[in-house]
Amino acid sequence: MIVVNCPHCGPRNSSDLRPCGEVTSRPDPATASLSEWRTYLYMRENPSGWVTEAWYCRSGCRRYFTIERNTATNETRRSEAS
Amino acid sequence: MPDIEFKSPIAHGPVSAPDGSVSLEDETSTTKVVVRAATGTAAAADLGVPYGQSRLRADGTLVCGTRPGEWTLFAAAGRATEVAASVDTDGFVNVVDVTHGRAMMRVSGPKATAMLAKVCDIDLTDDMAPDGAVFSGSVAKVTCDLLRSDWRGEVSYLISCERSFGNYLFATLADASTEFGAELPTGLDIH
Repeated sequence: MIVVNCPHCGPRNSSDLRPCGEVTSRPDPATASLSEWRTYLYMRENPSGWVTEAWYCRSGCRRYFTIERNTATNETRRSEAS
Repeated sequence: MPDIEFKSPIAHGPVSAPDGSVSLEDETSTTKVVVRAATGTAAAADLGVPYGQSRLRADGTLVCGTRPGEWTLFAAAGRATEVAASVDTDGFVNVVDVTHGRAMMRVSGPKATAMLAKVCDIDLTDDMAPDGAVFSGSVAKVTCDLLRSDWRGEVSYLISCERSFGNYLFATLADASTEFGAELPTGLDIH
């Protein structure tokens, strides 16, 4: 079980939430090249270590938030409302 | 909002233990009005309850901060039109009567917390969920809104969920109550 700290609801079992993956920055659709757009859509860093992820609190406040999670240990820190 | 005939999705009467340690009853007929209001609107200021808390208004309506920017108003049965009309809809405000769309039940008694803890992963201790606390989470794998609303001097919770899950949730909570001596009504199918 991973305990994830929702900024609105507090600590929750991860089964109460939905992970939405790494946070990536969206390029400008008007100027982005095909390569940049493909990288935005499909490519992820997937590090063994700390990564900033978006989560959705589906059973509680029904809000998206970001949190840093260590993919090797499942420790979490710095939960912030989106 | 026309008044239409009310019919509860819960097919069984109250369940209780002979010693009163836990009881479960259908409260679906309670008026339930959901309000979503943007920050800065008159409705948000009037309702005035932050997420996770509740307060009783002078007109007998219980205002619950069910989510950030969202409130659920509970009142006696048949007051939906009146309660909805009491909300100032000026600005980005949405008011919906969900009385018929959500099932609701009350769990009360000294063993209510222990019974609920069997099927709910939220910390229900007095520090985290005192009287008046509002929270949402999984109860028997059904996403529910919960309100700690102590009643007649006893610990009590109001639990509401989507209407279609109401009968299942009532039966599952009745099943969980049997450990504390609750007697199931004839015909209640729990498996």
